[in-house]
Amino acid sequence: MAVKGRWRLAVALGVVATLGLSGCGLNEDNNSSSSNSSSEAVLRIGTTTDVSNFNPLQSLSKTDSWILNAMYPHLLRIDENAKKSPELAKEYRYEDDGKTAVFVLRDDFKWSDGKPVVADDVKFSAEKIMEYKLGNVAAKLTWVESIEAPDATTVKFKLSQPYAPFAEGVGFWMSVVPKHIFEQAGDLSKFANDSNWVGAGPFVLDSVTKGQRYVMKRNEHYPLAPGGKAAVSQVEYRVYPDVNTMMLALRNGDIDLMGTPVPISAAKTFEGDDKIKLEKVGALGFAHLTYNMKNKYLADQQVRQALSMAVDTKAIIAAVLQGDGQQMAGPISPIFSEYDNTELQPYPFDPEGAKAKLSAAGYQDGNNDGFFDELSFGVACDQSNANITRVVQLFRESAAKAGIKLENECVERNTFLTRTKNGEYDIDASQWGVFDNPMDQLRSTYLSSNPGGINYNLLESAEMDALINDAAGTTDPEEFKTKIKNIDKVVHEQAYLTPLYVENFQFAYNASKFTGFVPSPSDLLGMVTAYSLAQVTPVK
Amino acid sequence: MLRFVLSRALKAVLTVWIAITSTFFLLRLLPGDPTTLMVEGDMTPEMQAALLKTYGLDRPLWEQYVSYLRELVQGNLGISFRQIQPVTDIIVDRLPWTLLLAGCAFVLTVAVGIPIGVTAAVNRGKWLDRALQGFGISANALFVPSVAILLLVFFGAQLGWFPIGGAIDPDTRGVGAYLSLAHHLVLPVLSLVLVQLGPYALTLRTNMIEVLGEDYIRAAQARGLSARRRVWKHGLRNAILPALTLMGLQLGTLVGGAVLTETVFAYPGVGRLIYEAVGQQDYPVIQGAFIMLAVTVVFANALTDMLYAVLNPRIRL
Repeated sequence: MAVKGRWRLAVALGVVATLGLSGCGLNEDNNSSSSNSSSEAVLRIGTTTDVSNFNPLQSLSKTDSWILNAMYPHLLRIDENAKKSPELAKEYRYEDDGKTAVFVLRDDFKWSDGKPVVADDVKFSAEKIMEYKLGNVAAKLTWVESIEAPDATTVKFKLSQPYAPFAEGVGFWMSVVPKHIFEQAGDLSKFANDSNWVGAGPFVLDSVTKGQRYVMKRNEHYPLAPGGKAAVSQVEYRVYPDVNTMMLALRNGDIDLMGTPVPISAAKTFEGDDKIKLEKVGALGFAHLTYNMKNKYLADQQVRQALSMAVDTKAIIAAVLQGDGQQMAGPISPIFSEYDNTELQPYPFDPEGAKAKLSAAGYQDGNNDGFFDELSFGVACDQSNANITRVVQLFRESAAKAGIKLENECVERNTFLTRTKNGEYDIDASQWGVFDNPMDQLRSTYLSSNPGGINYNLLESAEMDALINDAAGTTDPEEFKTKIKNIDKVVHEQAYLTPLYVENFQFAYNASKFTGFVPSPSDLLGMVTAYSLAQVTPVK
Repeated sequence: MLRFVLSRALKAVLTVWIAITSTFFLLRLLPGDPTTLMVEGDMTPEMQAALLKTYGLDRPLWEQYVSYLRELVQGNLGISFRQIQPVTDIIVDRLPWTLLLAGCAFVLTVAVGIPIGVTAAVNRGKWLDRALQGFGISANALFVPSVAILLLVFFGAQLGWFPIGGAIDPDTRGVGAYLSLAHHLVLPVLSLVLVQLGPYALTLRTNMIEVLGEDYIRAAQARGLSARRRVWKHGLRNAILPALTLMGLQLGTLVGGAVLTETVFAYPGVGRLIYEAVGQQDYPVIQGAFIMLAVTVVFANALTDMLYAVLNPRIRL
């Protein structure tokens, strides 16, 4: 009886499961040809999560951009040296004393339905972003008063005031969408764009199996690929939420490239595998300690400088990044070699010197406990960032040698983000995500009047405001560089922050099957830019 | 009986309502809001406010709650913040995978757990019992992700017997697709079964030992019934009753385990959907998935209780 009952239960569950599967159709039901002839090369890439939003004007997710970037062209791309290079726009210039930014487009880009990519598409994309305040590009279009498209290959952005990195910012971040398709969607803030895709990148989405894979077919016309179209006929993104699983999938040949960087601690596991190659790129952000200027003691330049002298950055790089990072002096990453002020030297690690500096400034250790009486601070960080929590630990130990008492206040990510936004911390240990140009960075982090900025210092300095606004309006490249370097120097002297390191990211791919990737800095797009995917060739 | 069923159904509805309400408020008690995770660099407070308005998060909490319940009654789970799609569609897409995974794990746990428990009880005190108990206790201490990773590394990567992730080879069709499906299921199911099996076998062993000491079993022995018949027919029927409750509870654990298993094995079910939605603070998706799972677990428990009442009428008193 019991045995019979058991089998009944098993059969019933089996039926439920089978019915369920017929509901999900086992495999995607679409017109895509799943049979790949041997002459066709399929590049399979591991991604960590599903596409959350197929509307490129709205999406804010990094992993979404890995797919959407290959479909929708951008005016400019970022090259291996973190410089903006032509993509859809072959050149750009400023007119009218910097108040008009002009992009000249290539005339050989085509949408996958055969229509040419024209200036009206660019104008439409930008205007819709402004109208519906879509994505983070809306903030980059703040200065735009009107947009003109006098002919098929010219777009003019009329600005309310000159802003030096306007063209670079908009050019790099803004996706260009097909006007003839998107204008039929009405309210673009509610447009999911989840089927019948038309793109002009090297690949265009063809089918989606949620939770499993995203198949992109080659656009047969992509002028930036050698030979006018990508050598790879199909790109497949496969979803692996766990990075360890993704690494195993690469080693087993289930995927050919990891879209996400390999964790430093795990990179060594690929050493014995002669098929897998690691490509190293620098970050576009950096780790830093930022001081809250509303704290009466941290508002003292001497204290900030002493704290900068109490951080053993070299030891941190050795211990946390296993040596795989670059030390910084000023607030501009060395990855922007044109703007980095190389005359600046990092504050030397010198706890005794820091102690002497604080004593000279009048701070005292009244109770002889080894710490200055007033100098006790909390260091906030996101506890899910293993590197930064380790940094805080090392910082606390080295600061104690300088007589400064620090307390670890690493908390859950959301709490941390809320606290930093509200200025509820003394010292903020964190990592900036992506800065694609130094001007945006300085404006975002130090301009007191920038409402959308990340001025975590809560700095209100008329001097800095003036320097930043002056540089922002300078369109002469050489003069602009000099002004940025000067701000670099002021921030360093004031020690508003202590820059720690620029991390390196390592991307792993199967070099026995594919070659020719053109990686760009940071983990934002890494190896999966449209340009890079268009250059990849199968190994014969 | 009808009164019992009605009262049990009422309790089930109440439990689901409590689950819905607590999920709703707990999510909103979390620090930050969904836009916090979107604000990277240049997003002005005006844009953030506009986003909050779009999501309806600028309204008072009670107003959001009432409106959510109103929609829910009409069968509307809301629209995902991130995917701009109805949550029902998103979940319906994923639910069959979780049902398949949890269903297979459930059946296998019961099918293997019962013989282990019975065998241990029958051999009480002997080496086989000690070995099976040892296995049960060790399995009790297992943690789903660790087991999953170990299985994945050994059987997936080292030996290459099973695929590393996913639910099916997308290029297979017909019978091949079903075979591929089963192939992909082996390791995730195994990791869930290994973790569930310990408590299941141990409980059944204890019940069985108790039952085997009862007078009617001894009477059956005196009547000359074979040991096999005594144990498997008369003994198991009574010993399995308390295990029914365990089966109901096990479903809840399976659901929890699915979140971790599906993440490690890149399995496209509701568990992984929750993992992703929590990371993005996509309230409607998290709420929808929790409600769906709460209903499943509560329904399974209610069904177990009713089944128990049918099999053991004393419970209705």
